[in-house]
Amino acid sequence: MDDPLLLARVQFALTAGSHFLFVALTLGLATLVALTQTIATLSGSAVAERMTRFWGQLYVINYAVGIVTGLVMEFQFGLNWSGMSRVVGEVFGAPLAMETVVAFFVESTFLGLWIFGWDRLNRWVHLALIWVVAATAYFSAYFILVANGFLQRPVGYRMQDGVARLTDVGALLTNPTALLAFGHVVFGGLLTAGFFMAAVSGYHLFRRTAEADLFRRSMRTGLVAVVLSVFPVAMFGGTQFRYVQPTKHPGTDEAAAQVAQFQARFGPGDYTPPGLASVGEIAMVSAWMLMSLVALVALVKLPFGRWLERGRVFHVLVMAALPLPYVAVISGWVFREVGRQPWMVYGVLTTEDALSDVPAGAVTASFVVFTAVFAVLVAVNVWLLARYARRGPEAVRLGALEAPEPERPVLTPSL
Amino acid sequence: MQTVALLVLAVFTAGYLVLAGADIGVGMLLPVLGRDARQRRLVIASFAPLFLADEVWLVATAGVVAGAFPGLEHALLSGLHPVFVALLVGWIVRDMGLWLRGRVDAARWRAVCDGAVVAGSWVLALAWGAVLGTVLVGGGHVEDGVNVGTVLGLPLALVFAVHGAGFARLRLAGGLVERARRVPGRYWVSALVLVAVMVAAGWRLPWSQVAASPEALGLTAVLCAVMLPLLVGAQALVWWTFRGRAESPGYL
Repeated sequence: MDDPLLLARVQFALTAGSHFLFVALTLGLATLVALTQTIATLSGSAVAERMTRFWGQLYVINYAVGIVTGLVMEFQFGLNWSGMSRVVGEVFGAPLAMETVVAFFVESTFLGLWIFGWDRLNRWVHLALIWVVAATAYFSAYFILVANGFLQRPVGYRMQDGVARLTDVGALLTNPTALLAFGHVVFGGLLTAGFFMAAVSGYHLFRRTAEADLFRRSMRTGLVAVVLSVFPVAMFGGTQFRYVQPTKHPGTDEAAAQVAQFQARFGPGDYTPPGLASVGEIAMVSAWMLMSLVALVALVKLPFGRWLERGRVFHVLVMAALPLPYVAVISGWVFREVGRQPWMVYGVLTTEDALSDVPAGAVTASFVVFTAVFAVLVAVNVWLLARYARRGPEAVRLGALEAPEPERPVLTPSL
Repeated sequence: MQTVALLVLAVFTAGYLVLAGADIGVGMLLPVLGRDARQRRLVIASFAPLFLADEVWLVATAGVVAGAFPGLEHALLSGLHPVFVALLVGWIVRDMGLWLRGRVDAARWRAVCDGAVVAGSWVLALAWGAVLGTVLVGGGHVEDGVNVGTVLGLPLALVFAVHGAGFARLRLAGGLVERARRVPGRYWVSALVLVAVMVAAGWRLPWSQVAASPEALGLTAVLCAVMLPLLVGAQALVWWTFRGRAESPGYL
């Protein structure tokens, strides 16, 4: 526990990792909830309305973890990685500023309105709100990936007295490592939400709970999302390999040439990433292959609604498949981020130089505190997601009217 | 351009302190304002529909600092490392208490969550007091870390509590208003005090030294200035929708 660099890295990995696991579902589920609410609003269907509230409730539980871990991430750059804001601060900060002002501010404001304004707003206004929330969530993902794309493949800047100056914002915003990663994450989110919806629906259909109609429709929505996104996610992922750092795949000629170049420019050192990066790559691709098999079965079954409701082996299959998108999401993150090491900004700033010069004790203390808080947070919310998923639409409080209680006289204390 | 960026930053920071400051204050006074579970739920309903819309002002503040004044980000955050860790932990604990309190229907669960709201709100208010005090005393030397202002600023937390009481007077209904009136507080007075302290602290910071290059600064400043009317419009829609007093418990 005396290596501040390792502690700061593990802390960031835990924050970003738990953030990304929940955000992947948020992104996809927002879209599916918006679509369901659109059907409910257009058709006036009671089942679609209850579906919106049930999946909306799970979306909100999930969102709370994403928002809280996201807040810590935003501040962690300044807390533990001040070398980064010192050297590349203005280039990295520009997309972060855009994210907060163009995307997150509107997203969170309108989400509050959507949650609490259920019975107060015109239903078309209420429908518009969830679409704005879904759209701004995608804007958010785009700007964050612009910032991350700069770390992977720095563009649009010029070094001046050891500080990166933003020279070409267009290049920064159209960085292929940002655009392709955005496509990858969009479909990854839909894939996660599709598997999530299918697994929860599979549970209820398997148990033959009272909500067969609602969960047959949900199963179909989830499986359509899975089928539509399983190939685009791989396409966007695969295309990125053209822009991937050579050192991400140690042992190749390109990697050796790049390492030789780094050694000539920055002096001797180890410029190959830890082996964990390749483990991430293998795990991600394996999880995807399994998911594409499930998608194939789903494609065969989708036209037959009755079969979706009754096929119990398939229900078990989709429940068992729930961890797959999460394995892919987290191992893909490991491949991308660990594969960039030892660089914070590839070929510009090492992770070691990016570390703040705060005392090791302070880094250790913040590591222990945040890890403990996040462990409780993730555990409680996963438990709640499972609990609310299991209980079904009857237990939903989102959008349920609460009658004003008759006022009881307030006792005034006599001191 | 730097002036535009500073004005935008001042608007975002003031928005946070005034709007979210009231939520923090009500959280601090939760045991005073609400004596049983039903009353506490009503007290929380006074700001629950607004708290998401209120805390985004701080996220936007941090975004503008990162884009326009990146030098300040590491000076302030690394310099005051322990204070900001406390601030973030207080914020998380408060928010989780709010999000989770209605999720399980059990008295002990709600008691733990309400405890988290109260403790988190106090830590948050004390941390803001410490940050503002440090900047007021330290001025251009905030990267040197804690100073005497860190401790002297702690009583500023009480301004948040008073601000929350002023807000509760406007938002609560029935007998709970009477209880809120026992705490001296006027919403607009405490709002002015918070903004005045912020402006005084901001005045002491060496903005030119921490600013980004003119191109990057201009980009963030223009973008924010263009977005600001839209953001205020979105917020106004929230205020309009949830105007009036909280007479029934809400989603949280």
